[in-house]
Amino acid sequence: MRARLIASDDVIKIVDVLRRDHEVMAPFYGRGRDTYFDTVTDENRDRIQLHIPNPYYPPKRYVLPHIEQMFRIRKADGSYEVQSTYDEKKRAIFGIRSCDVAGIHHLDRFYLGRDFKDPYYARRRAHLFLVNVVCTDPQVDINDECYCLCTDTGPAAKAHFDLQLMDIGHGEYLAVAGSAAGESLFDQPFFRKATPEHVERRRKILSEVRHNFKATTGWFSATVRYISQEKVLEKTWAEIGSRCLECGGCTYVCPACTCFTVTDRPTGPNEFERVRLWDACALYGFTRMAGGHNPRKAVHDRRNRRFFRKLAHYFIQRELSMACVGCGRCAEVCHGDVGMPSTIEMIRRATTEYLAHESNAR
Amino acid sequence: MNPTPADNIYLPKLARLERVVDEIDEVRTFFWRFLDPADQKAFEGFKPGQFAQVSIFGAGEFPASLPPSPTEKEVFFTVRRVGRATEALHQLQPGDVFGVRGPYGNGFPMEQYAGRNLVFVAGGIGLIPLRSCIVYALAHREKFGKIQIFYGAKTPKELLYRPLLHEWEKAGGFECHLTVDRADNGWQGHTGVVGSLFRKPGVTVPTENTTAFVCGPPVMFRFVIKDLLEMGFKDTDIVSTLERYMKCGVGKCGHCCIGVAYVCMDGPVFTYRQIKKLGEDI
Repeated sequence: MRARLIASDDVIKIVDVLRRDHEVMAPFYGRGRDTYFDTVTDENRDRIQLHIPNPYYPPKRYVLPHIEQMFRIRKADGSYEVQSTYDEKKRAIFGIRSCDVAGIHHLDRFYLGRDFKDPYYARRRAHLFLVNVVCTDPQVDINDECYCLCTDTGPAAKAHFDLQLMDIGHGEYLAVAGSAAGESLFDQPFFRKATPEHVERRRKILSEVRHNFKATTGWFSATVRYISQEKVLEKTWAEIGSRCLECGGCTYVCPACTCFTVTDRPTGPNEFERVRLWDACALYGFTRMAGGHNPRKAVHDRRNRRFFRKLAHYFIQRELSMACVGCGRCAEVCHGDVGMPSTIEMIRRATTEYLAHESNAR
Repeated sequence: MNPTPADNIYLPKLARLERVVDEIDEVRTFFWRFLDPADQKAFEGFKPGQFAQVSIFGAGEFPASLPPSPTEKEVFFTVRRVGRATEALHQLQPGDVFGVRGPYGNGFPMEQYAGRNLVFVAGGIGLIPLRSCIVYALAHREKFGKIQIFYGAKTPKELLYRPLLHEWEKAGGFECHLTVDRADNGWQGHTGVVGSLFRKPGVTVPTENTTAFVCGPPVMFRFVIKDLLEMGFKDTDIVSTLERYMKCGVGKCGHCCIGVAYVCMDGPVFTYRQIKKLGEDI
């Protein structure tokens, strides 16, 4: 991978170059702490933020929209015309954080791996360009809930981006290319040659930044082991479940959640569309079948389903990446404080205690 | 990129309803053919125990097990009217067009059962997915040992495929035992839960070199499994198809995930040893 130097004031020019043939998304401030990804226009271009708290609503929606049309269905002459509708628009996400890069990589594994490939996802993904900005500012980039150190997804993404930018101080950014498309941007005149000194500065900053993470639960792997070996007590699962308000918020802000539902709706007198929408295993109707039978009734069965699915070793093996990227959004939105970090802590604490008592009793 | 329909795993292929047969209350069998003969040919390679996704445009899509055996000449679904999409299927008339995609799932590995005795235990409409295996076994009668069917429903009126059961019994030399929970005036047969058939005088169920197929409502499933285990069946010799809500059928939507398995990809056929480990209510 090649690296180049770029002046802070010139970074925005990358957006201008990308906008020639891409729709470019970037993070902006809303009101107060609110931040969001939006399409860059001439009007808002100068308000793009390089250092910013990661928006709640994840950029995953550019590859897996909240609601997406799959087909147009037209009834004519006693038969039907079914037309797949694909989004082939070229898009770039500027300022995507490392955790969200890992999230998109997880979705790649899930939607493009195994026997069947998702055609809608495949097209959106093929046309997506990612400009990763490394979280280096402990005041704004990194919040109390960030724990990408534990999931090994940050603060700097190691791969799966096209271009990576990192603030190395002195009004300079170091740019690293992660793909041929990213590298071709280095032809632009605003990129300068980087020296070993710049690379050293990057390394030093990264190692300092690592000390600014507060929720650094190093219990991730132990919890994965307990869940996979079925060591977690029913009591612990029930306690986690009892704190869940079933709002589904954690799944809607999760960059690695994949579940969807499908429904038909009319769009005209003889026309329908089939759409798919994000769905969540925390919601009551998720496993309910026609006729009313619901094999997964208890709240904790559903609530814990998500943690099981994300942390059981079987699924990590199956998709070759963990379905948690350490962004901390679930912890921020959860009213019952059962986001991923606190759940991991609860499981680890309860199970370790139980196992210790068990071995003492022998 | 010019996508062809073959690219899209979610794209239903058009099929025409040919005829409809009323089975029991709220349950009908729908015979159909794909409009495109190539689709029809590709589909006919399905295995017993697999399922398909049925689209009624405007009403939605639902998973339906395939009751025909690949040895039969026709394809059809037997569907109970239970929700919006199945209701819409019941409204269709012969000649109407709807969508089908599949076949999906692992199916029963019928070759593995060659030389074994087969015991089919079904409750209510649980006979639908097992019909495929029964007809397959009938078509390859010489490959299998003793074949028994134990089938129960709530009332005599709710016994599915009744004329067929007699036909199979005569043609295939099967043993066929029926029971109902509540008899009506005309019912001369056995009364009681399906499991009580195993203890009926004159019935002997071999447990050695035997595979038991169990399919039915959760409560029946639990009791029959208990009976079979007590009789000496190994948990690897009991197989079943699991029913789950599915939106995609290809392991993406997440609805059918139980424990570590996706019913649509890893199932719907599971051995009892696997089901036990999934750790969720069946």
